Amino acid sequence: MASVAEVKSAIDAAIQQVSEGQAAVHAANEKIAEAQQSLAAALDGSGHDAVSSAHASLQQAIMELDDCLAATQAAVEQAQAYVAAL
Amino acid sequence: MSLIQELGARVRATSDDLPVGLVTAAVERLRLAGELLMWVRQTSGNPMGVPQLAGALEHAEQAAQAVRVAQDSLLAYLTALGLTHDGAAGPDGAWRAGLAAEGDRPVPPSSAPPPPLGQWWAQRVSELTGHEQPPEANGNAATEGADLMRRVAAGVHAGDRDRLRRELAGASAPIGLGMSALAPPVLHRLTSDLLRHLPGPDDLPMLTREAGPRVRDLLPGLPPAVLDTLLARVCRVPPAERAQGEPATHPADSAVASGVLTGVLLQLLHREPDSLDPHAPEPVQQPEPNA
Repeated sequence: MASVAEVKSAIDAAIQQVSEGQAAVHAANEKIAEAQQSLAAALDGSGHDAVSSAHASLQQAIMELDDCLAATQAAVEQAQAYVAAL
Repeated sequence: MSLIQELGARVRATSDDLPVGLVTAAVERLRLAGELLMWVRQTSGNPMGVPQLAGALEHAEQAAQAVRVAQDSLLAYLTALGLTHDGAAGPDGAWRAGLAAEGDRPVPPSSAPPPPLGQWWAQRVSELTGHEQPPEANGNAATEGADLMRRVAAGVHAGDRDRLRRELAGASAPIGLGMSALAPPVLHRLTSDLLRHLPGPDDLPMLTREAGPRVRDLLPGLPPAVLDTLLARVCRVPPAERAQGEPATHPADSAVASGVLTGVLLQLLHREPDSLDPHAPEPVQQPEPNA
């Protein structure tokens, strides 16, 4: 039979996974920003479609990761509020 | 080195450094967190953050896709420059990123007794491995997911269910559950090596035939749908929808099955458990016998 402590532990375990996901997202965002800088320096002046596509995709990746972080934050707050009310 | 070679090398290095593995690791962590919350809230009307987490997962998957497209575009650019060799995709290193990141996991400061979730995890592991009771405490248990995966692979290699139960149940619940976040890129890579091409829907029957019976022998208590979903995911087949009212599967099931399937694939490839070390060199592929 489940106890309050057990439910709390399960939700805490989920929050821990989210935190680790957030850490990976932060690290990925930094890597992408570095890649953007490196490409901007190396490919300055290129009008090749593939280069434009790479730039656009990296920009989209950063936006998606920012949205991802915002959503995880909201999820964690809601889960924590539930735990607090148990 | 010519100027164009130098440019190519720089673009190639940037492409190789794109964080496909990190974003994949994030996707799997969020998926696991969502499954865990879904399981907790099965009969609760409180959303507990599950819808937001589903949205976060979708954004992370889109980001992973965007990074892959950027990588493909850069490789296409290299090919257009005439650097055909540099334009070929390198070995898939995504699996290393997840396993290597595990080493950075913060260690809990206290040595307090395991929370009730620990018993919950150990109990379920015992059921999956065909035992009734959790084993005695294991003083030498794995403290990180990558190590646990290697130990599970060693248990699979030995065909020893008791050992599997001991290693799995001895680990703490977050470490054990974390396997379902670490395993997907590893499984994808091992399956690619086994098939000698990227796994697709056509490969599902063969993979099920080769790996399924071994996993079921080691995990007699595993619900069949869990293994089917896992194998379908490896082959990029959308898993079957859960029927209305059907209970969510236990989150431990997918984690344990992922670890054991990893061990089974290593066995099929005749590789040692230590080859899962993210710092180990790339295994040498044997040439096709009829090549």
